[in-house]
Amino acid sequence: SLAVKILLFYVIFYGCLAGIFIGTIQVMLLTVSEFEPKYQDRVAPPGLTQVPQVQKTEITFTASEPRTYEVYVRNLDNFLRDYSAEQQTENIVFQDCGDTPTEYKERGPYNDAQGQKKVCKFKREWLENCSGISDPTYGYKDGKPCILVKLNRIIGFKPQAINESLPPEVMAKYNPNLIPVHCVAKREEDADKIGTVEYYGMGGYPGFGLQYYPYYGKLLQPRYLQPLVAVQFTNLTYDVEVRVECRAYGQNIVYSDKDRFQGRFDIKFDIKS
Amino acid sequence: GLSSARAAEILARDGPNALTPPKATPEIVKFLRQMIGGFSILLWIGAGFSWISFGIQLSQGTDSAFDNLYLGVVLALVVILTGIFAYYQEAKSTNIMASFSKMIPQQALVLRDAEKKELPADQLVVGDIVEIKGGDRIPADIRLIFTQGCKVDNSSLTGESEPQSRSCDFTHENPLETRNIAFYSTTCVEGTATGIVINTGDRTIIGRIASLASGVGNEKTPIAIEIEHFVWLVAGVAISIGVLFFIISVSMRYKILDSIIFLIGIIVANVPEGLLATVTVSLSLTAKRMAKKNCLVKNLEAVETLGSTSIICSDKTGTLTQNRMTVAHLWFDNQIYSADTSEDQTTQPFDQSSPSWTALSKIVTLCNRAEFRPGQENLPIMKRVVVGDASETALLKFSEVILGDVMSIRAQNKKVAEIPFNSTNKFQLSIHETDDPHDKRFLLVMKGAPERILERCSTIMINGKEEPLDNEKAEAFQTAYMELGGMGERVLGFCHLYLPENEFPESFQFDTDSMNFPTSNLCFVGLLSMIDPPRSTVPDAVSKCRSAGIKVIMVTGDHPITAKAIAKSVGIISATSETVEDIAKRLNIPVEQVNRREATAAVVNGMELKDMSSEQLDAILREHAEIVFARTSPQQKLIIVEGCQRQGAVVAVTGDGVNDSPALKKADIGIAMGIAGSDAAKNAADMVLLDDNFASIVTGVEEGRLIFDNLKKTIAYTLTKNIAELCPFLIYIIASIPMPIGTITILFIDLGTDIIPSVALAYEKAESDIMNRRPRNKRKDRLVNHQLAVYSYLQIGIMQSVGAFVTYFTVYAEQGFLPSTLLGVRVNWENTNINDFEDSYGQQWTYYQRMYLQWTGYTAFFVSITIQQVADLIIRKTRRNSIFQQGLFRNKVIWVGIFSQIGIASILTYGLGHVTALNFTPLRFQYWFVAVPFAILIWVYDEIRKLLIRRYPGSWWDKNMYY
Repeated sequence: SLAVKILLFYVIFYGCLAGIFIGTIQVMLLTVSEFEPKYQDRVAPPGLTQVPQVQKTEITFTASEPRTYEVYVRNLDNFLRDYSAEQQTENIVFQDCGDTPTEYKERGPYNDAQGQKKVCKFKREWLENCSGISDPTYGYKDGKPCILVKLNRIIGFKPQAINESLPPEVMAKYNPNLIPVHCVAKREEDADKIGTVEYYGMGGYPGFGLQYYPYYGKLLQPRYLQPLVAVQFTNLTYDVEVRVECRAYGQNIVYSDKDRFQGRFDIKFDIKS
Repeated sequence: GLSSARAAEILARDGPNALTPPKATPEIVKFLRQMIGGFSILLWIGAGFSWISFGIQLSQGTDSAFDNLYLGVVLALVVILTGIFAYYQEAKSTNIMASFSKMIPQQALVLRDAEKKELPADQLVVGDIVEIKGGDRIPADIRLIFTQGCKVDNSSLTGESEPQSRSCDFTHENPLETRNIAFYSTTCVEGTATGIVINTGDRTIIGRIASLASGVGNEKTPIAIEIEHFVWLVAGVAISIGVLFFIISVSMRYKILDSIIFLIGIIVANVPEGLLATVTVSLSLTAKRMAKKNCLVKNLEAVETLGSTSIICSDKTGTLTQNRMTVAHLWFDNQIYSADTSEDQTTQPFDQSSPSWTALSKIVTLCNRAEFRPGQENLPIMKRVVVGDASETALLKFSEVILGDVMSIRAQNKKVAEIPFNSTNKFQLSIHETDDPHDKRFLLVMKGAPERILERCSTIMINGKEEPLDNEKAEAFQTAYMELGGMGERVLGFCHLYLPENEFPESFQFDTDSMNFPTSNLCFVGLLSMIDPPRSTVPDAVSKCRSAGIKVIMVTGDHPITAKAIAKSVGIISATSETVEDIAKRLNIPVEQVNRREATAAVVNGMELKDMSSEQLDAILREHAEIVFARTSPQQKLIIVEGCQRQGAVVAVTGDGVNDSPALKKADIGIAMGIAGSDAAKNAADMVLLDDNFASIVTGVEEGRLIFDNLKKTIAYTLTKNIAELCPFLIYIIASIPMPIGTITILFIDLGTDIIPSVALAYEKAESDIMNRRPRNKRKDRLVNHQLAVYSYLQIGIMQSVGAFVTYFTVYAEQGFLPSTLLGVRVNWENTNINDFEDSYGQQWTYYQRMYLQWTGYTAFFVSITIQQVADLIIRKTRRNSIFQQGLFRNKVIWVGIFSQIGIASILTYGLGHVTALNFTPLRFQYWFVAVPFAILIWVYDEIRKLLIRRYPGSWWDKNMYY
């Protein structure tokens, strides 16, 4: 009976503790909004990432062997499924935001008083050669790999365009409502190995239009399409490792030495002939 | 004497005349022992695993490989630093003792090359002829070839307190008994002598005893046993949880390498890295406090041993008594008067109006050869140095206290003749002129053994009048003499005679050889009895010991009657208890018929002890509560100590002589006398009593008990947060949530915020009168019992974990990861290639952003543990009483601890929050308060626990919840 007594004591004791724990967590959750997080200082400024997602940031394949790039293609297919035209037909959800970058689209307060918020369409065709429509291998079979570049979603974050002092090649197709994306060789000695780089984005702009911002969160914009820029490397040198760094340019997009994915990322290409 | 060349030859053969110091453990061995003792092995294992995983990860090219290298280095550093610290503490306390043995090099007067030379005593060789005079230490074992009134004090060797006279005659086969040998390290009290060195260095009698002492093994101290027990317990928990979760994580398909890293975390979380250092500091704080109270502790662990002592075997002379003869009783006018025997007497309260007293005081003053050394007029009388033997000194001081300036009284009563005391006459006599200028008679005064004095008397003084000494009066004398003698006192008789003026005119020439004056038909005046009285603090101390459940056994070389009298007067034998002999006397039956169980007290003679088997000794120690061993040799002390230890007792032994050193070593705690003690005794002892006072032992016991209680509190405090450090790992493994706390962070708690508070508990006052409970049973009352472990681990520890997890979940939730999202995310969370990890709101996080959030989580968890440790610290102040009974502010050091805790946490969070390697980040201010309700909960819960313990003593709750 002694053991039973002790067991009983601990059942009650831990029962109470569990109750207190769950109770306090519930109380804490009451103070947290379901639409936007209380603090965002750890998640902002946003990271810049690419599709396909790869191990050790390295894309390596042989153009003549589909097996070697199959994984990248599948990854891109999966990602782009939501961007297909047939997925963007419901007018209740989607809104046509034009073909050129325009101002931010404010959609009212961050709550569901007016129901869900609309979402700007993003046309897959804009990605052209990298859309997977004309070339289902996204250029991999020709040794001209595409990657998709996207800015991490952050609720309420409004990236600000930079108007001056950008490298001329970035400014080539300037629009005041554009967050341009540009990729260069990471190391100067690789500059000649990277070859030509093609950018495909909304309306042909190499960047993200501001009308896609701000993001209203999973609950209010469950089918939000973050704007993409496809980057195709059409003339990469084969059989060497080429490191490429892509950056998004914006006043509130900053880079950090500690976080190598903040506002930029780098990726290695190693295409075997 | 020897020639220098020959002496050098012998010196080269025999070595210097000095005792080989006990073989010291080499410093490097001591140091290495600290490096592998206690938890160090576990931490080394942790460090080893860290390096192994570093090696594996490095070869796999993992980015974070170096984290494990650093962790291993940090763990190794922790072991080395705590090792150095413990070594330093140990060395510091040893150094105190080393200063003791440093003595002024002794010189000896030697005949070399037919010339008298002063040489250092260690240069003596066998065959040297040395000269000794009163006050010298004997420089080697010597055979005497010339003596003049030489007396030696052999007390350090044999325990005999009376000086022994030495001559050139061979009187006994046994070298210890014969009169013509003087021993190394004893002192020559008076006279001069010349002798031939027969033994030097370790070959002397003392040297042989000293080597015997080093042969007696040193027992492990009780606290060392307790700490070992505790280390095993914690290590057992650490290893079993570690292995269990290693198996769990392997079977949950974690990689072996990850499982090993978890194992390191579990070990680090479970091991209280700072605790052993804290214990050392607490013990040395107590040692310091005890040193202030005249107990100098040589071995830190002995601090606690004194607290668990259940039997004290105490010397009599000097420890229980003042070590000086003092007049205790007087008998005149058919009445016994008591004198004040306290250390600082300035007056004597007994009735001094009788003319008999006037006469007696005159005899006491005049028939006395002792004198004060000049130049001590400003010292209290009792402290002045006197030239003369012990009884004469007592009488001189006694009369000085009552009558004032004795020397001027003697000057007024000029001495004209004197016969000093000798053993055949057994009396001392002197003849004086009187101080009354009109009275031309001479006054003859005499003192001596009472029966011898009475023989010479025909009259007795009653109320100032001489009355014939009839049988009735002689009977009264006998009764008084027996009574005083029965109190163990040395009794002296006093008589006088005014010589008739006509027979002894002023010009009479007294001749002490032919004794041309009467030495019989004198007038008996009174008796004075003397004793070495107990120190005034001792009876109180003995009664404290008694209420503290400590048995005090007196072991003395003195006569049983004296021993018993002192034992009775200090309370070692209480007023109501009787020995077998007392009962026999009261009932008037033979000793054999007495029921031994009725006698609570026993006085055992050394001679009886010699014939006893160890079973008989055990029976005596078991059956009698109050025991006095009299006429014991120092060797028998060892037997008595062993007997006590067979009873399961923790035995403290006091001693001063060289011969005591085996007993001091054998005892659980040997206590040497700082003033009277020999170096050998001090070396063998664990503690030195600077004032030789028994009462100091009792304060030591109190401190020892207090530190035991307080160490319990310290350990309970420290163990609690181990669970709060461990739970994160376990839940991380099982629920795959992001890591709540880092290994480095844990080390910052264990070795940072928690250190000062846990030391602060050593300053806590006792909860109740710790001197009113029995000494702890070393088999049952453990330092860390299962109640302590269970209460700390399974109750308070779990509460802390809950509080810390609430903070953790709050931080994550407010940053976008609601608790439900966190479950099971570990693999993707820790994947460095995923830089768009989605939170509960659809936001995307890079790897580094997640890590930074994870460190914020570490910091929040750390801060929560710290905040709850404040509550833990406060509740640990008491184990039974309410905090409000104990007083929240009485122990100021606790508050230093609390502020240091919060201060260090703030510095780590805000000051070092930007050093990436430490994994601390600045934390929002409000997160410091998330755990506060849980801290309050801990306090309230513990108050309820204590309340129920106080309300329902002996209940199920009391048994399971009181640690």
